[in-house]
Amino acid sequence: MNGQVKISIRNLYKIFGDTPQAALTDVQAGMGKPELLEKRNHVLGLSDINVDIHESRITVIMGLSGSGKSTLIRHLNRLIEPTAGEVLVDDENILAWDETRLRRLRRETMSMVFQKFALLPHRTVLENAGMALATRGISRKEFEADANRWLDRVGLDGYGNHYPHQLSGGMQQRVGIARALTSNSGIMLMDEAFSALDPLIRTDMQDLLIELQAELHKTIVFITHDLDEALKLADHLVILKDGAVVQQGEPQQILLEPADPYIEDFVSDINRARVLRVRSIMKDGLVEGEFSGEIDHNDNLEHVIAMAEGALDRRYRVMRDGEPVGSLEMPAIMRALVPRQASRETARN
Amino acid sequence: MSMADLLARTKGESGGGGGASLWDLPFPSLDALHDACGAIPESRDLTLGLERGFLSIRDALRVVIDPVTQPLSWMLRESLAVMTGTPWWIMIPLLLLVTWLVSKSWRVLVFVAISLALLAFVDHYVAAMQTLAIIFVCAFICVLFGVPIGIAMSRSDRLQRIIIPILDMLQTLPPFVYLIPLIFLFSVTEPKLYGIAIILYAIVPVIRLTDLGIRLVDKDVIEAADAFGMTNRQKLFGVQIPLALPNIMAGVNQTIMMSLAMVVIASLVSAPGLGVLVLRGIRSLELGVGLVAGFGIVLLAIMLDRVTKASLARIDASQARR
Repeated sequence: MNGQVKISIRNLYKIFGDTPQAALTDVQAGMGKPELLEKRNHVLGLSDINVDIHESRITVIMGLSGSGKSTLIRHLNRLIEPTAGEVLVDDENILAWDETRLRRLRRETMSMVFQKFALLPHRTVLENAGMALATRGISRKEFEADANRWLDRVGLDGYGNHYPHQLSGGMQQRVGIARALTSNSGIMLMDEAFSALDPLIRTDMQDLLIELQAELHKTIVFITHDLDEALKLADHLVILKDGAVVQQGEPQQILLEPADPYIEDFVSDINRARVLRVRSIMKDGLVEGEFSGEIDHNDNLEHVIAMAEGALDRRYRVMRDGEPVGSLEMPAIMRALVPRQASRETARN
Repeated sequence: MSMADLLARTKGESGGGGGASLWDLPFPSLDALHDACGAIPESRDLTLGLERGFLSIRDALRVVIDPVTQPLSWMLRESLAVMTGTPWWIMIPLLLLVTWLVSKSWRVLVFVAISLALLAFVDHYVAAMQTLAIIFVCAFICVLFGVPIGIAMSRSDRLQRIIIPILDMLQTLPPFVYLIPLIFLFSVTEPKLYGIAIILYAIVPVIRLTDLGIRLVDKDVIEAADAFGMTNRQKLFGVQIPLALPNIMAGVNQTIMMSLAMVVIASLVSAPGLGVLVLRGIRSLELGVGLVAGFGIVLLAIMLDRVTKASLARIDASQARR
């Protein structure tokens, strides 16, 4: 993956309890989550997390509830203090920073979008959007133009003088996104930002985010428990389970080569045809011969199957930016559509 | 057999033959122990000791408390002088103006106008103004101290644990009880004597509800404020107090109601106003005087309650949540 490493999480541990430091030695010696809870009455929040978050990319951290994903994202701006480990932002350990510097980080470098929106109910939409700038001491007059521009951008033009409670959930979260964008920070932390929304509105918001990202190239850390959402947004996917990273990497790679049964289970219900892209399963290199047509390397398999009208004897040339880069035959698509677990089970029978 | 014989017989039976019996065993109280052994003090000595102890520290207490509380006396005197000295044709429109500004409700305004006119019509205008003057000063001081104390409590669990029992005590102690040490401390001619009594009694709800209001502010909103790098001060004035305002105003309403209740009792220690008339009704059995003054107090109570409730409703409406 290209792009500079913007945030680097190194050997991060978080243990909840009265004497986390004492429990830490046990955890590092190999004590598991259930054992720790039973013997020491401490909860293992995060265990030895190592993640690099690249600039201008969307890094999605996925896990079920209780996997520690919300805890992890709160370490990035130190809303939660770790028990051990390092969080490097632009190669500087923010855990060593004093309050003033940390505040500057939160005001200027990172902004956050919340699951429950967390707008100020007594302020107007415009004032909420300008909250980050107002916090920096910028007067309303000066931030008004910025705030209005971003409100327009997320599709809320004309709502500046409304109060948050007058808006629907989806619109409130648009205000939340406008608030994060208005702060003009390079990093956006999104904590289950779309989880509280209806499915249709959630899709709209995902599209909005992808559209904004294509234009703004922010470093986005996105938390979700929804695999479809994760696969749709992620450039880099990190899967958490019980406070530890089970697998991380390119989403397509994870889908094709799940590292353990937990992830196999997880990805088995996914509509693979829609998620998998041609580039992940094509045969590299220039191939001579007959082709039924040309496809883009970023097309998904659904698109190719539709193009082939279901026929299995087609062969396509894969193009990137107008250049041929490889070939794809229909049987390869069919193989990719079957999850590994299922194919193994069939083999066993 | 005569009645006396019968009584004597039953006595004899239950006493088990007279003399000392287990049935008559007294509780080993101070007095009982003193009867048995002179070295043990009587319980009267305990109360006497308390009194002497208080009297011995009284002068030291006075040196500290007297100057500190002197402004309260000045405020009460000034407020009483202004409220009763200003002619009625200025005072009543002024009060109505304040009512309008706070409540923005025609119904409340008309109600207050009629009530004030009624009180003035039955010649209770001066007494009502005195009562109002005392309540305004005391409620103001309650808010002045109560809100910061409540904020401090909401930020420290330890402080909350210390203060809550004190508030419980202030609220349950019969008001007459803390009048007693106050009478010893200050001369009866000083208005601060009843001022302190009213404030101690009425400050409790505003402290409690400020603390509660700030603690009830949505945790997610506080987290958002932190995540955007707000300082504690920005968070307090920009988020916590505005969001706690409905609760704080409910506390102010309760505080005003309680100071009104106490101002009547405080007339025992020379607080002027409608309470004095009620007291006259009790002392010299003037039924009519007492009842009219009593209804006057009810009218004042309703007025104050409606005005503060109307302003509370305005705050609620402007920030209805979700």
